[in-house]
Amino acid sequence: MYQSLIEDALDGQHVEKPRYVHDLTEMGLLDDSHRPTGKLHDLWATVQRLHGVTETDMCLLPVKSVEAVDPPEYVYDISVPGSTGCDENFVVVNDGALSVKNSRGQQGIGISAAVLYSQLTSGKPAKITSRTKGSDEAEYFELIIDTDTNEPEIDVEETTTWDRTHGTRIELEMEGNMRARTQLHDYIKHTAVVNPHARIELREPDAHIKSERATDQLPDETEEIRPHPHGVELGTLIKMLEATDSYSVSGFLQGEFTRVGATTADKVIDNFRDRHYGREMAWRPPGAHEDADVADAVERVVANKGADATAEFSQRVAEALADYERVAYHELAELVDDVADDVEEKYDKTFGSTVREKAVEAAWSAVTGTGEHDGEDDASDGVEQLRSDVYALVDEATSTRKDDAHVQGLAERLAAKFDGAGETHRLTRAEVREFVDRSADATEEYDDATFGETAREKTLDALWDIARRVPDDPPNVGTIAGERDTASDLLEAMRETDIISPPTDCLAPITDDLIEAGLRKEFDADFYAASTREASVHGGDPFIVEAGLAYGGELESESSADVLRFANRVPLVYQRGACATTDVVKQINWRNYNLNQPGGSGIPTDAAVIMVHIASTNVPFTSESKDAVANIPEIESEIELAVREAARELKSYLKKRRSMQQRREKQDKLATILPEMAEKLTEVTDRPQLDIDDSLARIMNNVLVERDRDGDAVELTVENNSDRSADVELTEIVAGAEPTLANGDASVVEMDGEWFLKWSVSVASGDAATLTYEVSEDADFDVSVEGIEDEKLTINA
Amino acid sequence: MSTDSDTTTNAEARDQLIDLAADFYDQFAEGDVPSMQIPTRTKANIVFDEDEHVWVYGDRESTRSAKTISGAQKLLKAVYTIDFLAEQLDQDRSSTLRELYYLSESWDLTEAQFASQDESNSLIEDLEIVSEVKREDFHMRPEESGATVMGPLHIREQTRRGEREIHCQEDVGEGGYQIPNNPDTIEFLDTSAEFVLCVETGGMRDRLVENGFDEAYDALVVHLKGQPARATRRLTKRLHDELDLPVTVFTDGDPWSYRIYGSVSYGSIKSAHLSEYLATPEAEFIGIQPEDIVDYELPTDPLGDSDVNALESELEDPRFQTDYWEEQIELQLEIEKKSEQQSLASYGLDFVTDTYLPERLGEMGVL
Repeated sequence: MYQSLIEDALDGQHVEKPRYVHDLTEMGLLDDSHRPTGKLHDLWATVQRLHGVTETDMCLLPVKSVEAVDPPEYVYDISVPGSTGCDENFVVVNDGALSVKNSRGQQGIGISAAVLYSQLTSGKPAKITSRTKGSDEAEYFELIIDTDTNEPEIDVEETTTWDRTHGTRIELEMEGNMRARTQLHDYIKHTAVVNPHARIELREPDAHIKSERATDQLPDETEEIRPHPHGVELGTLIKMLEATDSYSVSGFLQGEFTRVGATTADKVIDNFRDRHYGREMAWRPPGAHEDADVADAVERVVANKGADATAEFSQRVAEALADYERVAYHELAELVDDVADDVEEKYDKTFGSTVREKAVEAAWSAVTGTGEHDGEDDASDGVEQLRSDVYALVDEATSTRKDDAHVQGLAERLAAKFDGAGETHRLTRAEVREFVDRSADATEEYDDATFGETAREKTLDALWDIARRVPDDPPNVGTIAGERDTASDLLEAMRETDIISPPTDCLAPITDDLIEAGLRKEFDADFYAASTREASVHGGDPFIVEAGLAYGGELESESSADVLRFANRVPLVYQRGACATTDVVKQINWRNYNLNQPGGSGIPTDAAVIMVHIASTNVPFTSESKDAVANIPEIESEIELAVREAARELKSYLKKRRSMQQRREKQDKLATILPEMAEKLTEVTDRPQLDIDDSLARIMNNVLVERDRDGDAVELTVENNSDRSADVELTEIVAGAEPTLANGDASVVEMDGEWFLKWSVSVASGDAATLTYEVSEDADFDVSVEGIEDEKLTINA
Repeated sequence: MSTDSDTTTNAEARDQLIDLAADFYDQFAEGDVPSMQIPTRTKANIVFDEDEHVWVYGDRESTRSAKTISGAQKLLKAVYTIDFLAEQLDQDRSSTLRELYYLSESWDLTEAQFASQDESNSLIEDLEIVSEVKREDFHMRPEESGATVMGPLHIREQTRRGEREIHCQEDVGEGGYQIPNNPDTIEFLDTSAEFVLCVETGGMRDRLVENGFDEAYDALVVHLKGQPARATRRLTKRLHDELDLPVTVFTDGDPWSYRIYGSVSYGSIKSAHLSEYLATPEAEFIGIQPEDIVDYELPTDPLGDSDVNALESELEDPRFQTDYWEEQIELQLEIEKKSEQQSLASYGLDFVTDTYLPERLGEMGVL
């Protein structure tokens, strides 16, 4: 009540509710005219923020520095300052997620474990210093976890001074051995790759790793979405059932899950009823010509209701029943009720529940053929009606090649089982399956028949198809939460129902640009590429795969390429061989991408780093230790596509590099052959020395830039001998005299007695462009050309 | 008796070569890519010259250009070779093709050295074509081919050691007169010969000489020694042109031997640029014809796959596209057999000189 009043008041409405408003005014939250006070606004903001606190986790905290302090040896002091006041939820461990989110962690287990581990090994509490932006002092806590109750306990809580304007600092002392130091360094380095927005520092007694930010752009806040029905586990479901405000299953499904509306909820509930209650078998009612006369049977059990009423009642039950093609027990009961109500009214006789039950029983016996007509208890005829019904179904369902006697045998045994299956013939699919199996086994054993898996499956389907869904209401949420088996039925029902895939806009990938930036700052390579795939879905969880590649430079070329694996921005360190990421990388034929891969499979042996990041609301790991990503086909396929996308860029880079190398080799070779040829020609023909630069440029299909002088006139010629057009920027630096431009298409800048003449020209393949200007003869020049690779350029000026 | 047009002086040959080098020089000077056009030397690029009745190169050309490393290297070698040849001509020396190959080893630039003798041989052919100067006038000669002439012919040869007058029957031993590398140094003085008989194999040549065929029929027996060298073909042509003697060719009866006849008569594909100078279109084929194999019931060998391929390729060869050759080749493909000249010995050692040759030459109207 207070909440709604406050909300209304904050919305600007005039609130009126005698006692409550009085109380609020007393507390200074509303003023005399029932308007919200400043205090209320503040309080409300705090409450909202607290709400926010419980829903965030460490994922988006920019990790600023990890720093080791001196003695004792090998004790790490991990500081994690946040930028705003709302980031500190280390003190209170979350209650667990009722929503899913693309984040580093989910439930705060990691930080609790870190605190616990440090406490167990060093015996010291976690020391937390925290200061929000704008506050005068910092808060200081010492915190231990009570290992009996697993609850955090705050030992020291005081204010302190801190040289930081804001942030959070956590100090944990823990013991460890330093054998895995390389992995620790790798972990820090890899973390830096996928968190290019963070500055990370690691100080050790004899090492200092520092990784600067590559971007100021913080990753997008991820949005929480409600879980998808296909993506929850039983434990989570029970937890959700316990926590929900809904009473009905339908409300629960619609309220707590994404992509579930009324229609989908109904479908889930239908499937749930089938699983939980089973269905009722529906049989053909006896026809009028058959000896099982429904009217007679009903009339016999109705007593003391007067002849007319009894006759009409039994007649109408029989007629109504004849309208049914098949009837299930609950349908029959309903039908009898309807007729009884009518007849009651008409004849003013009371048809009590006993009479009605007897009537239903009699009619049902007539339907199933188990009735004791003619007063005889003839076992062989007991299930006559059922048997012929089942026979028709089985005969229809099984192959025509089946021996009729065997079909008869199966039908007979099945009919007997249904007859013995309680009054209402209510069965789950599993129970029907068991009937079919047992009957088929028996028929095989005694009649020497064969009923294979297909025949059994078809028989089961035929029987299940004619069974009617029961009208019972599903159990309420509380009941389901209390019964694990029922909850499991609900989960199965959710999984077997077709539901639209979850929304994918809740994911926050690193993005290809930032992956490339991350690789660029951590690895010294010649080439970088990255790709981010569109979002995809597996089970109920959306996911995005991203890949990055670095190649060449200082990377080690003799050993296998490094494969960096990440899940939600966390480096995966162990179980490399069990991970889907590694499997996919190994399966790719890297030779296609011009990387060295001995044997044509496995991780390429080349100077390369291959990184794969999977962002999802729930990354499927092979185990709870979250070391390796499970081999889910949808995820593997996306990993492959992402890696191939980046690899394609690498391929074209390598191809270009190779062709440049060949071009250089050719140029080198020709640069020895042609001058020798020219010299020999000069000798043989006894003529002056030759200049062969122009010929060389044409041979190499190069862009040739030449300068010609005729008195004061200077002419720069750009001749394009390549097979594609060239867009080049020429800068001519003239020193000693001021140039005058004949045509105005160049820009001129003077600096310290030097004139920078700049042209932008586009020359088509096979064409030439001429640029002219005038300058007095004693000037010096120097031309430089941009926009074309050095290998493809010859400057003869 | 030699004609002036067939000889080129050292100075002229040298100038032609230097002109070629000057072309390359000019291309460089213009800033162009140095290149050289050469007719394509394949079967597909030879055409019949109606005036001369010989087969010469057609219009197809390939370009050696410095645009590629291998092209540039070929041109470099050409320039080095031109330099060498010009010097050789200056000093009036001569060398063999094989010597040129080894000589290139001494050039300071490894890129200019020849990788094989085939390469240097074909380069000389290129230069021959482009400069229009014959190899003989570059003073380049092949290794001695050893081909000989035996018969009633009196000649004067201009040797490096002075003039020699020789009668090719009386002044020589059984081996006959050895044809020099440049037969244009020979002057015909006198002859009583009636016709020229070119023989493919040494064995058959010796048989004819032993049986005194040259004396009996006034024949000039020219030993071709397989595929005839340029000197042998040149001499044969001169015997026909200058002494007006009919020329006949006597070879084995297989596809390879038909090509020997082809190069005597029509000119070879590799030297089609010199066909007018080397080929004797009037030369006639004696045999062994496929027809003879049937008529004389000669001992035979079956045709191998390569023989069949060679015959089929000859059917496509423009030089063999005459009714006579199509008929003979198709007959041979049909009987799937071939015979050697020596198979005639199956009827006795004298059969060839007493029966076969007189019969065939009679049919051809030579005797």
